[in-house]
Amino acid sequence: MTHQPEPHAPLTEATVAVDGSEHGITKKGLSAGSVGLIGAIVIGISCIAPAYTLTAALGPTVSEVGVQVPAIILVGFIPMLLVAFGYRELNRRMPDSGTSFTWATRAFGPWIGWLAGWGLVAATILVLSNLAGIAVDFLFLLISQVTGNPELADLATNPFINVAVCLLFVLGATWVSYRDMQTTQKLQYWLVGFQVVVLVLFAVAALVEVANGNAFDATAIELSWFNPFAVESFSAFAAGLSLSIFIFWGWDVTLTMNEETKGSEKTPGRAATITVVTIVVLYLLIAVALIAYAGVGTGEFGLGNPDIQDNVFFHLAGPILGPLAVLVSLAVLTSSASSLQSTFVSPARTLLAMGHYGALPEKFAKVSPRFFTPGYATIVSAVVASVFYAVMRFLSEDVLWDTITALGMMICFYYGITAFACVWFFRRIWWRSVRNFFFTLLFPLVGGVILGVLFFTTLIDSMNPDYGSGSNIFGVGLVFVLGMVVLLSGVAIMLWQAWKRPAFFRGETLSRAAAED
Amino acid sequence: MSDATDAPTRRIVVGYTANDSGADALALATRLARASEALLDVVMVLPSEAHNSIVPTDTGYERYLKEQSREWLAEASESLDDDDLDVAQLLHIRYAESFAEGLIAAAHEFGAALIVVGAARGGLLGRSRIGSVANELLHSSDVPVALAPVGSRDVHVAQGVTRVTAAIGTRPGADALLDASVRFAVAAHAPLRLVSLVSIDLPAGIDEGLAALTSTVHADEVLLAARRELPGYLDATATVATGATVEEAVQGLDWHDGEVVLVGSSRLATPRHLFLGSTAAKMLRELPVPMIVVPRTTTP
Repeated sequence: MTHQPEPHAPLTEATVAVDGSEHGITKKGLSAGSVGLIGAIVIGISCIAPAYTLTAALGPTVSEVGVQVPAIILVGFIPMLLVAFGYRELNRRMPDSGTSFTWATRAFGPWIGWLAGWGLVAATILVLSNLAGIAVDFLFLLISQVTGNPELADLATNPFINVAVCLLFVLGATWVSYRDMQTTQKLQYWLVGFQVVVLVLFAVAALVEVANGNAFDATAIELSWFNPFAVESFSAFAAGLSLSIFIFWGWDVTLTMNEETKGSEKTPGRAATITVVTIVVLYLLIAVALIAYAGVGTGEFGLGNPDIQDNVFFHLAGPILGPLAVLVSLAVLTSSASSLQSTFVSPARTLLAMGHYGALPEKFAKVSPRFFTPGYATIVSAVVASVFYAVMRFLSEDVLWDTITALGMMICFYYGITAFACVWFFRRIWWRSVRNFFFTLLFPLVGGVILGVLFFTTLIDSMNPDYGSGSNIFGVGLVFVLGMVVLLSGVAIMLWQAWKRPAFFRGETLSRAAAED
Repeated sequence: MSDATDAPTRRIVVGYTANDSGADALALATRLARASEALLDVVMVLPSEAHNSIVPTDTGYERYLKEQSREWLAEASESLDDDDLDVAQLLHIRYAESFAEGLIAAAHEFGAALIVVGAARGGLLGRSRIGSVANELLHSSDVPVALAPVGSRDVHVAQGVTRVTAAIGTRPGADALLDASVRFAVAAHAPLRLVSLVSIDLPAGIDEGLAALTSTVHADEVLLAARRELPGYLDATATVATGATVEEAVQGLDWHDGEVVLVGSSRLATPRHLFLGSTAAKMLRELPVPMIVVPRTTTP
């Protein structure tokens, strides 16, 4: 990692000359055949996993903002973009596998840094369990579609079968991540291409059904769907926004990936732009098509029906596509599978950095000598995600829905801290150039403030037992309970670690700093 | 056929990983390098960016890996120094899509005569079962590959190479193997033993005695021909090993602790590339000593 002094390993001169020792990786060390523009776009889309994301988030978003989903999708991108700019600045200045954790520690000290790391880990673990949950639903749907036996799809609602299959999924994903088994680029191109094509087909088919008068609840498309000010209340607006932040989550990687690749100054920017345009167009198309087809009412297939909201494609694919619905199942399954793998990487790497700097036991910093993955951290993430899912599945029928909302909250939390860390870290050079002013002060500050407001609004609103899916514990909304349990257990573990491993919390392993030039 | 003394320095590439398999490889490579006064290139191969099709590249993590690998290499290098061994070594980090690919590229880059890797993990009873890395290497290398069996790290480096055994077949490929064996035996100052394995694995009803006799006679002829090509200064012996199966034939031979076996790659291999034939694969399972697989040359 960058700020640690290079260990002066007794490398021979020849090696030093060949491999370079200044800043870790030299260009020479990277192979020429690195990820190009298309590769970066494919990775970006596969990280966002639009098929999975939309099926999970569309329902909850509709329940908050009704027909104004397209508007929320457009607006939700703004804070994401602003924070991503800050993320990029930090990543350029101090690339580190701990990302938010390391940066927040550098800017604000160990305590806030630790919590930022916790937020990232918690959010990704929440999404892991959700991803696996969605995958289980679609696996059973796929089986029932292939065998023509609709009863099989209902097996997914049996909590025991559901949890067992889900744990198998997580086990598989852990195995694959631990061994860093990635598909070939070519196969991945096909999978992502397939996902996009199926989503477009799905949307077009829905619109055709509407045109033919076969829609479940045909709703005339209006321009007001794109007007964020048409949303009824600020609460609904905030809740919708924090959900739409979830749907863009993962996009930031395209902005920072392969910045070091030779001759790729323009590649990351272009890849990020093309990725996000593709994603936004896809989201808008599907949101508009499905609302036009199913409406936002609470009827059998209405997007406002709580019974279908946590997994809308699952329920709508059949009525819209008929026998071709099997394609949607396949697309969501492959999308969840790739996303499971790329998502696994981020808590593992953050935990690794936390172990490395002594914020967690040293075991977390272990790298598998054979597969070069953060082995221990990967397994811990998997175990926690599995336990979390199992507990939640028995606690609430609407587990998927509530985890998505809680997830949006956690993302706001750690992205917000990251944005402020960027602003604070670069405080001495804000005024050095116009570029610095925008990218290290204005953009991340505005982004951070938006996320902060979203976080607190969601937190306060979610105390209401009717919030989200309406699940509650002792009259307090489940989303709030979830959020608080996650955050407070973070605080508890932090205090425990501070007692066990004071060096990090005294700033001895990772000190505060600010950019000077 | 060139003598080690007038040739440029022999170089040996060892594919290192910071686990038992890597320790086996490093120990064997050090022993071979010391015996043949070769320069040791310790190479760690990290996954290159092109390996990523799903997981985004993260500069911070890449740096962490690189630093970790440096530490591993440094530790490995220190462990060599501890023994006060006179082995010149260079440490390298390379990026490639696969371990095997990176090692082959490194071998070409350094003009190395040999690649050493740990044979496997999980082989039964300390015998080798080929791991995925070794397997890939054997399918694609055009440089001889040494497979360090499990437990190589327990053989003391000072043991050196006490004997070089070449498992001579009767088919094309033997020339390249013979060449390589002689060169290696000379470099390592070790005696050469030529072995011809004869398995008499015939359906019932055929006169076993006769079959054994003809095979053995054929093997003797092959060995005799091979011996005639050997340089006179080399201390060489020849043996025919017989058994009902290849495994039995191998078991019937005596093996030194410091012995190294050379085999030629299969006829199925593309010219100048390796491929472990069925006999060699069977031998590998039985051999208590390291095995070097030599690619056959283009000459028919």
